[in-house]
Amino acid sequence: MKIKTLSRSVDEYTRERSQDLQRVFHNFDPSLRPMEKAVEYQRALTAAKLEKIFARPFVGAMDGHRDGVSCMAKNPNYLKGIFSASMDGDIRLWDISSRRTVCQFPGHQGAVRGLTASTDGNVLVSCGTDCTVRLWNVPRPSLEDSSISSENFIEPSATYVWKNAFWAVDHQFEGDLFATAGAQLDIWNHNRSQPVQSFQWGTDSVISVRFNPGEPNLLATSASDRSITIYDLRLSSAARKIIMMTKTNSIAWNPMEPMNLTAANEDGSCYSFDGRKLDEAKCVHKDHVSAVMDIDFSPTGREFVTGSYDRSVRIFPYNGGHSREIYHTKRMQRVFCVKYSCDATYVISGSDDTNLRLWKAKASEQLGFILPREQKKHEYNEAVKNRYKHLSEVKRIVRHRHLPKPIYKAMGIIRTVNDSKRRKEARRKAHSAPGTVVTAPLRKRKIIKEVE
Amino acid sequence: MGGGEKRKSSFKNLANAKKRRTGPHLPSSILKTIANEKRPLNSDEGDDEIDSAYGDFYEYEEGVPEEESRKNNRYERVVNYEFELAEDCEVKTCFKLSLFQPKDENVESEDDDDDDDDDDDDRHSRMLKNVTELPISAFQGESKNKRVVFTEPYPESEFNPTRDVLEGKSLTTIDDFMEPLQGLHGNSQLSNMISRMRKDTQSLVHAPLPKPEQERLERDVANELVYKGFDIWVPLVKRNREAPTIYFNQDVNVGYSTVGAIASQFHPRTEFEMKMASLLDDHEILEAHKEDGARLLEFNEVSMEDHIKRRNHVAKMRSMLFRVDLKHKRIKQIKSKTYHRLKNKDLNQSGVGAFMEPAMAKEEAKKQEARRVKERMTLKHKNTGQWAKRMLSRGLNRKYDVTQAALSKQLQIHATLSRKMNSTKDESSSDEEDLNDGSDQDTSKLIAEAKEKILKTVDDDEVPISRLMSLPFMARAVKKKNEEAKEEGKRDIEELEKFGGAETSKKSTNVVGRRVFGAEAPKESEKESDNLFDNSDSSDNDMEDNELEAVKDNASPARNTETIMEAEKLDDIAGNPASKTTFDVALYASGSWKKMTGCKNAESKKASKTHVPISQSQDKKESSDSESDDSESDDSESEAEQMVDGILTCGSKETYEIPCQAELVSRAFAGDDVEGDFEKDKQEVLNQEVPEPEKPVQVAGWGHWTNNQNKRGLPSRIVREHEEAKKTREQALRKRKDASFKHVIISEKVDKKAEKLQTKSLPYPYTSKEVFEQSMRMPIGPEFNPTTIVGVLNRPEVVKKAGVIIKPVKFEEVNPNDEHPRSHQKQKPKKKGALKLNTRQRVIQ
Repeated sequence: MKIKTLSRSVDEYTRERSQDLQRVFHNFDPSLRPMEKAVEYQRALTAAKLEKIFARPFVGAMDGHRDGVSCMAKNPNYLKGIFSASMDGDIRLWDISSRRTVCQFPGHQGAVRGLTASTDGNVLVSCGTDCTVRLWNVPRPSLEDSSISSENFIEPSATYVWKNAFWAVDHQFEGDLFATAGAQLDIWNHNRSQPVQSFQWGTDSVISVRFNPGEPNLLATSASDRSITIYDLRLSSAARKIIMMTKTNSIAWNPMEPMNLTAANEDGSCYSFDGRKLDEAKCVHKDHVSAVMDIDFSPTGREFVTGSYDRSVRIFPYNGGHSREIYHTKRMQRVFCVKYSCDATYVISGSDDTNLRLWKAKASEQLGFILPREQKKHEYNEAVKNRYKHLSEVKRIVRHRHLPKPIYKAMGIIRTVNDSKRRKEARRKAHSAPGTVVTAPLRKRKIIKEVE
Repeated sequence: MGGGEKRKSSFKNLANAKKRRTGPHLPSSILKTIANEKRPLNSDEGDDEIDSAYGDFYEYEEGVPEEESRKNNRYERVVNYEFELAEDCEVKTCFKLSLFQPKDENVESEDDDDDDDDDDDDRHSRMLKNVTELPISAFQGESKNKRVVFTEPYPESEFNPTRDVLEGKSLTTIDDFMEPLQGLHGNSQLSNMISRMRKDTQSLVHAPLPKPEQERLERDVANELVYKGFDIWVPLVKRNREAPTIYFNQDVNVGYSTVGAIASQFHPRTEFEMKMASLLDDHEILEAHKEDGARLLEFNEVSMEDHIKRRNHVAKMRSMLFRVDLKHKRIKQIKSKTYHRLKNKDLNQSGVGAFMEPAMAKEEAKKQEARRVKERMTLKHKNTGQWAKRMLSRGLNRKYDVTQAALSKQLQIHATLSRKMNSTKDESSSDEEDLNDGSDQDTSKLIAEAKEKILKTVDDDEVPISRLMSLPFMARAVKKKNEEAKEEGKRDIEELEKFGGAETSKKSTNVVGRRVFGAEAPKESEKESDNLFDNSDSSDNDMEDNELEAVKDNASPARNTETIMEAEKLDDIAGNPASKTTFDVALYASGSWKKMTGCKNAESKKASKTHVPISQSQDKKESSDSESDDSESDDSESEAEQMVDGILTCGSKETYEIPCQAELVSRAFAGDDVEGDFEKDKQEVLNQEVPEPEKPVQVAGWGHWTNNQNKRGLPSRIVREHEEAKKTREQALRKRKDASFKHVIISEKVDKKAEKLQTKSLPYPYTSKEVFEQSMRMPIGPEFNPTTIVGVLNRPEVVKKAGVIIKPVKFEEVNPNDEHPRSHQKQKPKKKGALKLNTRQRVIQ
């Protein structure tokens, strides 16, 4: 009689060296695991819950200014440095890791409205309502933390007085030009005390300016006549301009897609435009309940952060209509400026309560060194959550956010208003001859005209 | 319209009149040229104007339309209001013009109003004279005599050009200025210059466009440029967007990697390296190199002794080579194959044996012999070692080629080492000889062997005594068979003896195995052919014999197992000969036959020998059928079956009509009501999925004890609800998918546990259900996938490193037609592209 026994050949289970991993045999036959979908669903649910549990986005606050933070600039060449300026003319350089002031740049008489640093991180440019543009030499970051012992003050390397107050400044990527916005758009060189070029289209003052990081000769401005304009420095002329229904407070170019820009609007939405077709927005990012004050793209180009007058910071996907994250604290007041860190890991916000706040870009991300196995586990959790995100339970958990009461209420009001508008539109449509009432989509409706 | 046109023409007339009266006194030639210039523009009006310019007033008289001419009363009379209205219009326009006039006159009253101010007139004419240098009379006559009609509200001036000027007519040309200069000195030069300038159109400077217009054009150009600038990014952006994963900062610089950098850190360690380094670092040599290399010769000096030594060495080596060459040539010329074979063998066996001295060779031979002896004694290389045993026991030699090769090599070594032994035993045994003398001996030997075997098998027939075999009838049958077998064996031996020489050798191949009896079979079949249908017993026995022999046969085990079954069954039959069981075997394929026999056997036992009559002819046909079915199978087996049929048919002599298929089926499944069962099942499923409403019953409660409730019956509300529930149930049943199918149950039960794993609507990026389901089909976890794919399946969209600055995108050429690997395939971090098919992307391009 033949007796069947479990037999394993020794050589398949014997390691050649003691350091070798034990060989694990696995049968991947799907019929052996009929419950895999249920198992993965459960894991997705758990991953979603864990994400909620570990969501601790707030890293720390940077305290030191004596007035509301009006603008910030990140050092494109040094990850830990960030500049901030306040309404009382105070400019500071912060060390993000220790969250301390490294040095101060005193000199401005009124509010500093614009701040930017050159690509190599050596020159800081500031401008403000005192009609001056000041250039500063940024101290080289030293390895030992000298800022603890003494707060050093730095004199401006150049001060240029000009005819009008300034609203914004931005530096060209990998060039030596910078642009200031005021009564008109001025292009400056580091070495000249006067602008090398000036643009004016219309009579209204320009309130924000941003260079395109991918195409360094292009820049976009927004003006108080509710317009967004694209300029080309090579032709020393404006290219195109659109007039919207409400004012645009700030503009950000997508660093990975040079044709796309997103405008932070006064009506609480952000509008993503294709630079080639400005007559309609490609995407409307709605969620803020008050004016969006500042916007900054992640260096990956996949998401952007906005700061709003409704005391919240939100992170939007670049092609999504709604935010994936909202950050708020009890003490945070109106947010005037936000920045995404150069490694796309942190978000920094400056608000009216004189503080800079450091947030994680992904609320539940584990910081510090992660072992490969841990990393794999995180990736699997993320993937499985992403896979089952359309199922109601997972979706509910992933989407749930606690909101401050004012924002929650305002959202309710906005929803009601929009609903009633929609209802009215529908009724009007129903009661008029077919084809006479046409509803333009929001991304077209908000743009009044394109000026040539 | 007629009226409108008339008005226009009248207006023109007025204008012309005014021009004639007030304009400068142009010479007729100029007027002509002006008129000529204008003519080609619009010839009709031009004609008009020319006419008017010459004073011939020509008003276009519109002919009376035919319908109004009342010719022959062909048209109905229609009151034409239009015409009257046109008249009105004219009046009005005239009035308007006249309205303007007083104002004009007021404005121009300084020049030529009434006769009140003669002084003024005088002064004016003097001024005119001064300006124009024409006699005063020319002006006076004009101003006094002619009544001026002004058509413009303001006097003509450079700020207020006339209508004609605005329309581009009667412009002052350079000829006008040239006219008075005619005949003067230098006029020809001037006119030449002017004509040259006219020809030279290239250096013509146009008036600049208005600034807003200019800026707009600039912006248009800029816009185009910007658009193009953006357009070149599209392929790159598209690729990045469609990539399943985008990588940032994967190529972080880890330090020096140039050859120079690596070489600079080299330190000599070995002796040779040291020597080299000492030479390379020698200052003198370096200097010599640097200068001109002449000094290098000095360093390279060789002594005479060394030189001679070297020369001798080289000469020796050369002569040796020459001799070896010669030897090789000689050997090559030897044509004997045996010589070469032996030489090669020698070379193989002992690499340098050929060149050894005799004493050494002897020793070597001794050693070799010792090795051989040792091998013979120990059988070391016959795969008896520990390792070889282990390998063999685990079957690894079959698995790994290397192991197998090693084992076979050992065997080979053994063969080579032990060959001497054989060769010493019989020196001159070669294969050819073997073959030559084998033929006669071998046949006899084979026959003897065959005999032995047969006898052995006959003797060894003792069947292991199992419980089944120990039963008396079984024992009887076995005994009988043994006897039969013995007889068979005897017969075989006889036959073997009968056959001799070459024939036996042929036969000998058939000695072993079933074929022995297969060869026998034709003989029997001959026998059977005589009494196929009447001699049942003998054939039966024969058949049994066959089968039993087959049992003993070892050659075809697979078939044996089948035949064992048959034999046993037939044994049973043989055991109780009365039970001539009947088979409609031929109705079935040969494969199913065995099964059927089993159950039929049982049935036959149970039913105590029921006879199913089968007509002979039919049976024949059936048997032939079965044969055709089994055409591929062995002869012996087909014969066996034939015989089975033979047996079966022999017992039945009544006529039988084969029933139709339906009848057969109904007979086969008599007693089980399939349809009824199905109906019941369906009803059950329906009740389960759409439960029947409970019948309202009177429950103990209020009023129960008073017996009032009993009298009244159930409350109407409950009854109504019950009715409604019934109705809804019926509707639900009617709506079911299987409502119209009689033989189908389609379950519509919703699995609540599985429901939470399913989505009601298609999630966002997907546009088709199939694609979505396909994407969800495979799990992505490490338990369900090999390690090599898990990483790819779980990779996030953006892979970046914290703490490394990400630079903005740099332009690079991307071929938009590049085919990218599918998203699920593994990708190198450098290649970022892959097509995500069927996902709706909001393309911003």
